[in-house]
Amino acid sequence: MAGMGALAGKRVVGSDSWTSSESILTVRDLHCSFGGVKAVNGASFSVQRGAITGIIGPNGAGKTTLFNIIAGSVKPARGAIFLEGRNVAGLRADQLAALGLTRTFQLARSLGDLTVLENFALYARDQPGESLWRALVGSQSVVAQEKAVLDQAWELARRLNLVRVANDRVETLSGGQKKLVELGRALLGEPSLLLLDEPIAGVNPTLGAEIGKHLLAIRDSGVSILVIEHNMSFIGRICDHVIVMGAGSVLAEGSFEEIRANEAVQSAYLGMSA
Amino acid sequence: MISYLVALLTFGAIYALLALGLNLMWGIAGMVNLGILGYYALGGYSSALLTMHLGIPVWLGVIAGALITALFGAATCIGLVKLRDDYLAIVTLGFAEVMRNIAENFVSLTNGTDGLAQIPRPRLGVTGSDFNVVYLVICVMVVLVVLAAMERLRAAPFGRVLRALRADPMVAASAGKNVLGFQVRTLAVGGFVLGLGGALYAHYLTYISPEVFQPQLMIYVFLALILGGRGNNYGAVLGTVLVLAIVEGTRFLADLVHGLDAVQIGALRAFVIGVAFIVVLQKRPHGLLPEPRRIYTDPAARS
Amino acid sequence: MLQVFQLLVNGVMAGAILAVPAIGFNIVFAVLQISNFSIAALIAVGAYAGYTANVLLGLPPLLAILAAFLISGAAGVASDRLALRPLRGYGAIAVAIASLALNMVLENIVRFIFGNDVRSLDVPMMRDWIFEGIHVGPQAVFNFLVAIAAMVALFSLLSFTTVGRAMRAVADNPTLANIKGIDPEKMARLAVFLGMGMAGIAGVLLALDTAVDPTIGMRVVLSVFAAAVLGGLGSIPGAVVGGLLIGLAEQLSTLVVPVAYSSAIGFAAIILALLLFPRGILGDR
Ligand SMILES: Nc1ncnc2c1ncn2[C@@H]1O[C@H](COP(=O)(O)OP(=O)(O)OP(=O)(O)O)[C@@H](O)[C@H]1O
Ligand SMILES: [Mg+2]
Repeated sequence: MAGMGALAGKRVVGSDSWTSSESILTVRDLHCSFGGVKAVNGASFSVQRGAITGIIGPNGAGKTTLFNIIAGSVKPARGAIFLEGRNVAGLRADQLAALGLTRTFQLARSLGDLTVLENFALYARDQPGESLWRALVGSQSVVAQEKAVLDQAWELARRLNLVRVANDRVETLSGGQKKLVELGRALLGEPSLLLLDEPIAGVNPTLGAEIGKHLLAIRDSGVSILVIEHNMSFIGRICDHVIVMGAGSVLAEGSFEEIRANEAVQSAYLGMSA
Repeated sequence: MISYLVALLTFGAIYALLALGLNLMWGIAGMVNLGILGYYALGGYSSALLTMHLGIPVWLGVIAGALITALFGAATCIGLVKLRDDYLAIVTLGFAEVMRNIAENFVSLTNGTDGLAQIPRPRLGVTGSDFNVVYLVICVMVVLVVLAAMERLRAAPFGRVLRALRADPMVAASAGKNVLGFQVRTLAVGGFVLGLGGALYAHYLTYISPEVFQPQLMIYVFLALILGGRGNNYGAVLGTVLVLAIVEGTRFLADLVHGLDAVQIGALRAFVIGVAFIVVLQKRPHGLLPEPRRIYTDPAARS
Repeated sequence: MLQVFQLLVNGVMAGAILAVPAIGFNIVFAVLQISNFSIAALIAVGAYAGYTANVLLGLPPLLAILAAFLISGAAGVASDRLALRPLRGYGAIAVAIASLALNMVLENIVRFIFGNDVRSLDVPMMRDWIFEGIHVGPQAVFNFLVAIAAMVALFSLLSFTTVGRAMRAVADNPTLANIKGIDPEKMARLAVFLGMGMAGIAGVLLALDTAVDPTIGMRVVLSVFAAAVLGGLGSIPGAVVGGLLIGLAEQLSTLVVPVAYSSAIGFAAIILALLLFPRGILGDR
């Protein structure tokens, strides 16, 4: 208990830093419940720009719900969300995506009828060919943009080792490949903030390590990443900063070493999962 | 015999428009709509009324009827979009019934069950059977134009978004697509095509009544799309041709069986068509033509 | 004012009859997650089964109702087995559309046998009872009581018997029920039998109320769907509430619009209601 108090004390951040240029995303006092279950209960934290921030916590801690709220899929009962210093609470998922926030889903929600390339291409932003009128009449810019998007899609397929299946429907792919598709299409939108919900769950260790390397490269290209994962060695390897969630709020945060050394965390989480 | 064939093909072309409109809404964008006859009737009635009461030229009336239906489609979309699939199925089915109810009872506008007669035909410079042939040619050309337009939409990034919506609207939203916006556009364009079909029907027969809401017609259109291949525009047209062949083929049943009265023959035909529908669904649930899949070539392999 | 009371009474009576097939629709939905639109034809099947029993065989109305329950239930199970069950793997919407075709098939079997003529059941004409100026037909009271009895019987079956509880378990969670050793297929058959049997009972009640022809089911099916959806798909208490509300709405609407529009009014009302409650009033799924 004492350890937790100390951590909580360390965690308090001055209100001016909620919108500081250091952090790309700031979440303050979010609440959300389903029936009687307080899935998210007063969560507050910031995500540092250009870094990988990990979120860990036991099953049912409210991590996915938190993502759903940040990404605009679930409405919080109260709380504030700042993206790039701008209050974005109440925006729809597609509006947030247009602002550069892209998320993946815990249970791969691939568009099974679409091919890998189509899954990627869908995520490109500002496509003139998505306008009804331009799709009907066609134009040079539509053709040019579509070609550029597809070149990008192929490039991604190459990076993720999916060239061989690029023209296959995603429903015919293996579970791990679906995870890669999910990651790839999130990248095609050139996000500034990437929310990843358990990117290596159910993925074999080799591929998992590879995804870890991809994430580091993506971070180095300037993308900020917030990643939920239960795999501690993965978190330890890639995260610059770790947030521990329990019962809908932030229990502790710090570097991976600090978190690992923290007794409260151990009893709240690591102890349970061991 | 020739005039029978011409009439048959004209109806076929009109029904092909219904199948194409439904394919955009349901086949491509995944929004089930059992109320298509409501849109069809709306297009027919509005074009008929505009040309009869305001005296505007027939072709203008046809376009106006289709546009009114498009607006109406967009409006229904906004009302229905929150509903889950199974609620949507029932509500859209009921929606067509409500339209029928109005067509039957709003006598001052629709002339009730007697229907609107003497709807003007377009001036084509010919009369009699020549008119029918020219009208058929026009209908076929309309189908070809709509088919080309629907193919463009399907193949464009616009169509890609619609197929994504069909698979999972939440993913489409997280890809930055305004789900409601795309659905409204889809129902508007689909409504336009259905309304166009209704208007062409009204000015061909010069008559429209609540009988356009015959439930069999909706079943034929779904059968056409399922048989041809959901999501495939060519399939929608092919399916229409096949369904028309089945439906007309059952006419000859009457010659095969004897001693039945007219009601029984009608019942037998409907029975056979219904059974055919169920058998097709069971044996070929994915239809004859699969949804087209675009194969892209790797730019690296090309160079 | 008297007129309003009269309409309230009529609305409750009509609503109770609507609730019977609405329960049928919802019990099938609860267990199979499928909208079976052939319920309209099975109302007609029930009406003609009742007609055959009552007029052709001379049985009293209560036995005609029992016959209608059994025959519609059996026809529902047989047609579900032949036409719809093979399609379940292709999704609820495929089945729903097929059930529209099935509806056409069943309705035309009835038409083939009985023709399009309008027929009436063999019941004595009785003068209305008048209470404080409110007219109530003895036949309508009989129909109302039968509807209530059918609903009470079904509720008791679902609440107090092992098989009823098993069926509700399947509706709540098919996988879990299967683990507990309940055969979901058997429960599905039973649900279809009971549901379509209810439709058959409604067919006779409607026939007693007016007359029989092959479109008897189609004429009311819009209100039945409205009741089922309004109460919440798959909810049995919901179907009762929905039936009563639709019955009342249709009757009361005659105060402001012509009678012919009443079913459209009922449906328009539910579309508005669904904007507020996208899952119906008592629906939870
Ligand atoms: N749509 C929903 N309806 C009802 N309850 C929900 C819903 N989504 C989440 N919950 C509940 O909210 C709580 C938090 O769920 P959440 O999915 O956010 O947990 P999580 O931290 O992501 O867990 P896991 O590590 O298992 O993925 C759980 O108790 C869950 O049952
Ligand atoms: Mg989760």
